[in-house]
Amino acid sequence: MNEHLLLVEDDASIREITTLGLEQAGFRVTASGDGREGLLCFRQGSFDLVVLDVMLPSLDGFEVCREIRRDSQTPVVMLTARTDLHDVVVGLELGADDYVTKPFELPELVARIKAVLRRSVAQPEDRVIDVDGLEIDPGAFTVKRGGEEVALTATEFRLLLELARRPKQVFTRELLLELVWNYGYLGDSRLVDAAVQRLRAKIEEDPKQPKLIHTVRGVGYRFDAG
Amino acid sequence: MPFRRRLTIAFMLAVGVGAAALALGSYVVVRHNLRADSVHTAAREARRNLEIAPRYKRSDTLLGAYEGRGFETVGVGGGQTFQSSFSVGLAAVPTELRRLVKQGRLAYQRETVAGTHYLVVGGPASDGRELYFFFSEQGLRHELIVLRNILLGGLGIVVLLAALTGALLARRTLRPVAQASLAAHSLAEGLLETRLPVEGRDEFGAWAQAFNEMAAALESKIDALNDAQARERRFTADVAHELRTPLTGLVGEASLLSEHVERMPPESRRPAELLISDVGRLRRLVEELMEISRLEAGAESVHDEEVDLASATAAILRSRGWDGRVRLTAEPAVVTTDPRRYERIVSNLVGNALEHGGDGVDVEVRSDGDGAVVEVADRGPGIPPEHLPHLFDRFYKADPARAGQGSGLGLAIAQENARLLGGEIEVWSEPGEGTRFTLRL
Repeated sequence: MNEHLLLVEDDASIREITTLGLEQAGFRVTASGDGREGLLCFRQGSFDLVVLDVMLPSLDGFEVCREIRRDSQTPVVMLTARTDLHDVVVGLELGADDYVTKPFELPELVARIKAVLRRSVAQPEDRVIDVDGLEIDPGAFTVKRGGEEVALTATEFRLLLELARRPKQVFTRELLLELVWNYGYLGDSRLVDAAVQRLRAKIEEDPKQPKLIHTVRGVGYRFDAG
Repeated sequence: MPFRRRLTIAFMLAVGVGAAALALGSYVVVRHNLRADSVHTAAREARRNLEIAPRYKRSDTLLGAYEGRGFETVGVGGGQTFQSSFSVGLAAVPTELRRLVKQGRLAYQRETVAGTHYLVVGGPASDGRELYFFFSEQGLRHELIVLRNILLGGLGIVVLLAALTGALLARRTLRPVAQASLAAHSLAEGLLETRLPVEGRDEFGAWAQAFNEMAAALESKIDALNDAQARERRFTADVAHELRTPLTGLVGEASLLSEHVERMPPESRRPAELLISDVGRLRRLVEELMEISRLEAGAESVHDEEVDLASATAAILRSRGWDGRVRLTAEPAVVTTDPRRYERIVSNLVGNALEHGGDGVDVEVRSDGDGAVVEVADRGPGIPPEHLPHLFDRFYKADPARAGQGSGLGLAIAQENARLLGGEIEVWSEPGEGTRFTLRL
């Protein structure tokens, strides 16, 4: 435990109570009230996870997320307003790992953060999966394509691992939500869709015509190297 | 009967009656003249015949003299009767005519003998013999029949033409009415920009003008109403949106407070508990307000998938911890719908039933043709009929004195979600027996 979190939230009251809550849950928290300042903090320190509000002065949450993803796979949980459905989709497309809608209960946020962090814990007991030039090493938490390492976020990695462990099996979005995101009944299936899109962009030769992760219309996804 | 048809028939009748009167009049005049001519000619012939009669003492020579002149003769004289043909005899001579002839007068009468129409002209010859001349009027009758037929045929054609012309005229006359009726229909369907063409300066033109002014007034009224409603909705959405930031803080603070409430001194503990539960209420209210304003703004999207409502309903009840208090009767009912919205509807309906109807809530799921029916019934006190029409209105509470836990938006949200899924929620209630909500998808 004692993971170091970066919280970027502009509302002082929410920032303070969230910091307090996360600290009581056992995290170390660095808080920032401004997008640009938050990004600066992120680049100077070393964080295990970033909690990012969308509406931020100077640089909004999307921009911060985009900047973080430029050179880092650090997990990101967005705080969004449910009124802006658009926010959820954009955030996920930019590489956020999960989101929590405002207003949120602190235990809910803590649960989401822990679920995301759990994904980045290596599982040394798993053997290396080698399929069609794709080498997935659960122990080292690395994926190599043609010998070259591909940078995946913990969520993307866990998603790929779950799919590749049982090739040809069809996974429903609900099952993937449970396996990867630790959601129970009725999570947001857009989490899965967005993560699959991001994963394809990284491991497929042509993400528009995927050869590894196939969409099963109306059901979900299937890993099949053919 | 449509006005157009009545107009057509009236026109047809007017023309028809006029033409019939004309035809009848001309027929009567022609008939009268022809018959008068016939009498005139026959009388002249008869006078000549009577003049020459005394030259022929014998009846057979007399008949011989008359032969080939186009009439038959019957004579009475010297105690004997004679006739030029078997077809007509003394019996054929009308008695009235004989009486006049016996009085010494020249007279005529029309008589039908064995189907042949004759003009019988009789008179006394100077030698005392009575002579009767039968002039056939078959030709005359035939001409009159032909004339009658021609007139009838003509009348038929005129009536037919009148009907056609009448129908055309009626259609042209009533076209503005038909257009106005179409325009009114499209107005009723919501095409508020519908206007009528203003043609000419007649009554219809003035009417179209008035109609258009009405439509314009209606359009601007409705636009104004829509604007007001949109403003009101935007305001609701803005309020909910603005409340969210302080609420997020409150919710966070309350959830942190709730972890320490056990260790608080008694005098601050109860207020803290109340604060926490009120923050929860406020949160539900704001979230539902945001949801209803999103639904009303049409900003919500639907993510359809194949869902078995039976297992989905069971899962919803289980996830809310209601499976002990609600009896579920479900048969598999697979429909294409948005499971998230379905959950919203069912949880709102069941939550409402549990709140107002107490325990003993029954949920039934069954397939119905292409769709499915979900019924949520309670055995609570029921809802008085005057409240039923407003049940799905925002913040409507059947009993204002009863402060429920609900925000007053639950049923409105359920109904909006049902409509979004192409369904509808209906309510049945009987005071004393309970309330049943029926969702059709």
